[in-house]
Amino acid sequence: MSAMLDIRGLKKAYRRKAALRGIDLAVEEHEILALLGPTGAGKSSTLLAAAGLVEPDAGTIRLAGRDVTGAEASSRDVSIVFEGFNLLPVLNVRDNIAFALRSPKYREAEAEIARRVGRTAELLRIAHLLDRDTGTLSGGERQRVSIARALVRRPLLYLLDEPLSALDLKLREGLRAELRQIHREHGTTMLYATHDYHGAIAIADRIAIIDEGRILQTGTIEAIYARPAEAFVGRLVGSPSMAFFEAELRDGGLLVKGFGAPLALSRFGRLAAANGPVTLGVWPEDIVVGEEGEPGRVYAVDNRGYEVAIQIETPAGSFRKVLEGRRPVGQGDTIRVRIGEGAGFLFDATSGARVSHQGERA
Amino acid sequence: MTATRNQAYAHLSRWILLVLLGLYTIYNLGPILWLMISSLKSRADLFAMPPKLVFEPDFSGYQSVFGVGAARDSASSVGVFDSLMTSVFVSTVGTTVAVFLGTLAGYVCSRFEFRGKGDFMFFVLSTRMLPPVAVLVFYHMMFARLGLADTWLGLVLIAVFVNVGLATWIMKGFFDGVPKEVEQIAIVNGYSRIYAFLRLVLPMVKGGIAATAGFCFIFAWNEFAFASILTTTRAKTLPVKISTASGATGIEWTQICAAGVVLIIPVLVFFYLIRRHLLMGMTFGVLGRR
Repeated sequence: MSAMLDIRGLKKAYRRKAALRGIDLAVEEHEILALLGPTGAGKSSTLLAAAGLVEPDAGTIRLAGRDVTGAEASSRDVSIVFEGFNLLPVLNVRDNIAFALRSPKYREAEAEIARRVGRTAELLRIAHLLDRDTGTLSGGERQRVSIARALVRRPLLYLLDEPLSALDLKLREGLRAELRQIHREHGTTMLYATHDYHGAIAIADRIAIIDEGRILQTGTIEAIYARPAEAFVGRLVGSPSMAFFEAELRDGGLLVKGFGAPLALSRFGRLAAANGPVTLGVWPEDIVVGEEGEPGRVYAVDNRGYEVAIQIETPAGSFRKVLEGRRPVGQGDTIRVRIGEGAGFLFDATSGARVSHQGERA
Repeated sequence: MTATRNQAYAHLSRWILLVLLGLYTIYNLGPILWLMISSLKSRADLFAMPPKLVFEPDFSGYQSVFGVGAARDSASSVGVFDSLMTSVFVSTVGTTVAVFLGTLAGYVCSRFEFRGKGDFMFFVLSTRMLPPVAVLVFYHMMFARLGLADTWLGLVLIAVFVNVGLATWIMKGFFDGVPKEVEQIAIVNGYSRIYAFLRLVLPMVKGGIAATAGFCFIFAWNEFAFASILTTTRAKTLPVKISTASGATGIEWTQICAAGVVLIIPVLVFFYLIRRHLLMGMTFGVLGRR
């Protein structure tokens, strides 16, 4: 099956500054793909290029099998929701939602428009706002109206550019669940850009990790956890994110700075690295904190009532970990950390690429 | 002790401030008041010594300016009414054209990148920095050769010239304030950019257009340097007329003063209407983004 959106080798520079350096990305039909990356990674540029609002310097964009690289934005049959500004102030809520259905390209009969606007407003629980002026809406209501305008049409692809980022946590979680629900009912295809790891895993079927204009890895969250492609993926994924330790490959063992005994290399599977410095990355869940192991110091304690999040400093690096239950940990305490059996990944110390290949065929 | 002393100081500085402000007000408004009083005095009252504060108002000056009553055709009339009409026509048409062009150019400069955009914007602004006196002679020669000297069309062209740069800059500032998402939403949803510009963006800057028009009208209305050189007899604007008005019986002060009052009124009205935009328009245009 060919993908609904298929982007290959997409490049874009603004004023000679590269924003996209060769994006390869495919969104399958009926899936939500989260584009997860920090600010300035190229998320918005990717979405704008997919919508046809930004002209790429190189690469191809295919939509439902059709090459749309040079096609007019108005002919692509996509919807877009922006992070901030979405509602046209010269129209009221009803006309904002109906906006696309009155355009030359996607025109519907007025009776059909009324029916669809009513139903979509019902779905997003904004039916009572239809006759209001957009200026009188709260932030949450505004984003609901924006999403309603995107949903009132049945485009090939929905492009959501941080649609919930400006909202507070409770609103965000509520709307996210609603988006997920609408997706389940209607089988929509969505590309959802976000910098928020929680948002990404909550809504997406698959996640694409983007940084500095490149896609680092695409896959389900389980696959990303099992084999993070780069150290940066570890930094972006997980809550707390991956723990990193300075280490050195020497004489068939891994010397972690400040650790007493070297780690056996067999746990890392096939290695694609010579002797020398490497970075050891471990998911915090694979680190055992307690009575045995290497010493570390508790740098910060964040008591959440039912659990405790602590930051631990070791000579090789510091990391954050959540301890379940109410463990009596105080700031400045010395604590022992042990890396679980078979856990950990090795990354190139400079490029960040993963050099350990456990469980993979050569 | 110190408290009462501080209070006394505060009292004193307040009084000094009030006196200074009072003097400043007299300095500013005094001449205007004098002008208004003089515009209602007959020739005899005007030159009376000591100056008369109580006098019979004489409306002949205003009758002459607005071209009504007997004063219009009298021998002493200096034809201020024609100049008023010239000024109204030239300022209105010049403003309309300048705002129209400035709106289009401002939109392009706000939304599109093109080679030499920075230089273009600077050039546009530089037309405002130019001291008119420096190029007057050459304008006079150009206009004479083209048959534009002493015509309404020539004056309109000047009114457009002095304003179009300012209008471009101010309108660019207002367009910069409109999120680019407005057009993006329209285009993705199946509309053209022209539709987005005319139906969505323009209504969002209509206040800005009004403010720009206000600015342009005032500048066109007050324009003196070019008009004084390029018009000699048939097409004199009001400011030029006032500076040169003399009739069969010498300088007609009453008419000149009445014309001066009439000259001030539109400026007052427009400044009142655009007062909210005054600072915004100024800083938006000059200090705005890019």
